[in-house]
Amino acid sequence: MKLAAYPAFTATAFQSRLAYRNQVWSGVFGELVFMFARIAIWTSVFSTVASDSVDGVTLPQMITYALLAGPVLYWDYSRLLRDVGTAVKSGDIAVYLLKPLLYPAYMLANHTGNFLFDLLTVTVPVAIIIGFTVGLVPPASLFHGLAFLPFWALSFGMLFLLTTILGLAAFWLMTADSLDWFFNSIMTLLAGGIVPLWFFPGWLAAIAGNLPFAWVSYYPAAIYIGQLDPSQALTAFIIGLVWFAVLLGVLLWLWAKARHRLIVQGG
Amino acid sequence: MAIISAQGVEKTFRQPKRQSGLAGAIRSLFSRDYTEVRAVNGISFTIQPGEAVGYLGPNGAGKSTMIKMMTGILVPTAGTLSVLGREPHSNRITNAAEIGVVFGQRSQLWWDLPVRDSFDLNRHIYDIPTPRFAENLTRLTTMLDMGGYIDRPVRQLSLGQRMRAEIAMALLHDPKILFLDEPTIGLDVVAKDVVRKFLAEVNRERGTTIILTTHDLVDIEEICPRLIMVDDGKLLFDGELKHLRSALGSRRRLKLEFGTDPGPITLKTAHLVTDEGAAKHFLLDSEQTSILDVLTELGSGHDLKDVKLEEPDIEEVIRTFYKNKVQAGVAP
Repeated sequence: MKLAAYPAFTATAFQSRLAYRNQVWSGVFGELVFMFARIAIWTSVFSTVASDSVDGVTLPQMITYALLAGPVLYWDYSRLLRDVGTAVKSGDIAVYLLKPLLYPAYMLANHTGNFLFDLLTVTVPVAIIIGFTVGLVPPASLFHGLAFLPFWALSFGMLFLLTTILGLAAFWLMTADSLDWFFNSIMTLLAGGIVPLWFFPGWLAAIAGNLPFAWVSYYPAAIYIGQLDPSQALTAFIIGLVWFAVLLGVLLWLWAKARHRLIVQGG
Repeated sequence: MAIISAQGVEKTFRQPKRQSGLAGAIRSLFSRDYTEVRAVNGISFTIQPGEAVGYLGPNGAGKSTMIKMMTGILVPTAGTLSVLGREPHSNRITNAAEIGVVFGQRSQLWWDLPVRDSFDLNRHIYDIPTPRFAENLTRLTTMLDMGGYIDRPVRQLSLGQRMRAEIAMALLHDPKILFLDEPTIGLDVVAKDVVRKFLAEVNRERGTTIILTTHDLVDIEEICPRLIMVDDGKLLFDGELKHLRSALGSRRRLKLEFGTDPGPITLKTAHLVTDEGAAKHFLLDSEQTSILDVLTELGSGHDLKDVKLEEPDIEEVIRTFYKNKVQAGVAP
């Protein structure tokens, strides 16, 4: 088959979402409520200290971090987890084996369509509303602004790999529901999605900063607001790429095992 | 050359034994016993290009397992299987490009999209040249009468409409073999008829080889000249449908209903099995005997109200055949 089929899947996923237009409104509303809650928390935290910065970060920077690490980078992964989990559980995954295509690549194409849809309909409107009501800061410098883009791409890939690996685990555990809960708590803590790593105790920050989850939210957002200098950013990016390669290997290995299990045992 | 050849194909599943109750569930976390289930047990057959073969058997006879092995999504435990000259599971992607598969119980259409969009995705997946795709789409839409709903989302379709779309989708890339796993399951009489007529026509006009599993004998009668019958993973019968009844030794049943009890009746062409007075049940001994023969022999003068000829249903045919096999001393 042609590689052209995969962009077609992306377009299809995007189109499928248009069928449920009402979800857009609830998505925007939900993210806004969540954002304003975070903003309220950080505002009260900052009001208790005398200086206008905590650990060298100002409140507007913190709000920008919250937007990036929240709705922008740590966007809804549960759809992907559910899709993979359900396909495994219901046995529909066999349908994908009947077609001349590679299932993980198909899922990536599909995921990209969902990502683009959420970006255009939820993330961008939420960012605009927050920007005009509360205010957001621009990137710390041109370098930090440009560096954010490859980090964003890496974050997208990392979240896809982590979620798909977890979804395939349903082959052995036969449920993805408890995994969703587990993954959500791990990500909330270790990805720095709510509390940035620089507020962690030193030892926990050291551990979390070297686990792949940190590349989903923490590193891209921290780079945008200028928490890492260029050499630190480069090191972080290289370590991130290594993690990406490792996780890609894990995913392909897991898929081969899952496929083997499926075709030998019938699921 | 045979398009499909199976030689002594076996498939054994190893299933963990579930122990009941909470204590059992905890125990099974630590040690697991397995039971071996032999779903397919030494099946051999060859199928020539252009044939239409019905793969028939009761629930749990190993029909779906066999289809899954032929489509390359299950590996046989033993034996050799060749589809289009290749081993299906080790050439899954090449195999997938040349076959079409329809599962009656599992949709391959994109739920939220109009049928047309699902078709268009298949054009990409199978890399179908645009002119041929357009031609096939027009032909299939007309033949299956899908014009009225091709632009509606799949989730709004009735089961009959959806099944027609599933079958059309499996044929868009001109597969050499079409596998259908219970394509008429759950359909009403009209929808069944449309599907059957269409499949027979595809086989006749396009020369597409068709393998379909079913437990509905009518599917076989209308589509497949050849029948492979399995039960409990083993091959029971392989041949033409018209030879099935004599081969299996099961006979047609005739019910005669009278307005008033005509008293005892004995016939040469059929013999009485139960006599309820006004209703009498006969068995037709020979395949050649027609109702007309019986009625001619019966003659007029009886207050005959209704005549009903019952074909033995498939479960009964298999049961009879299976019993005979055991009685004849053939290993079951």
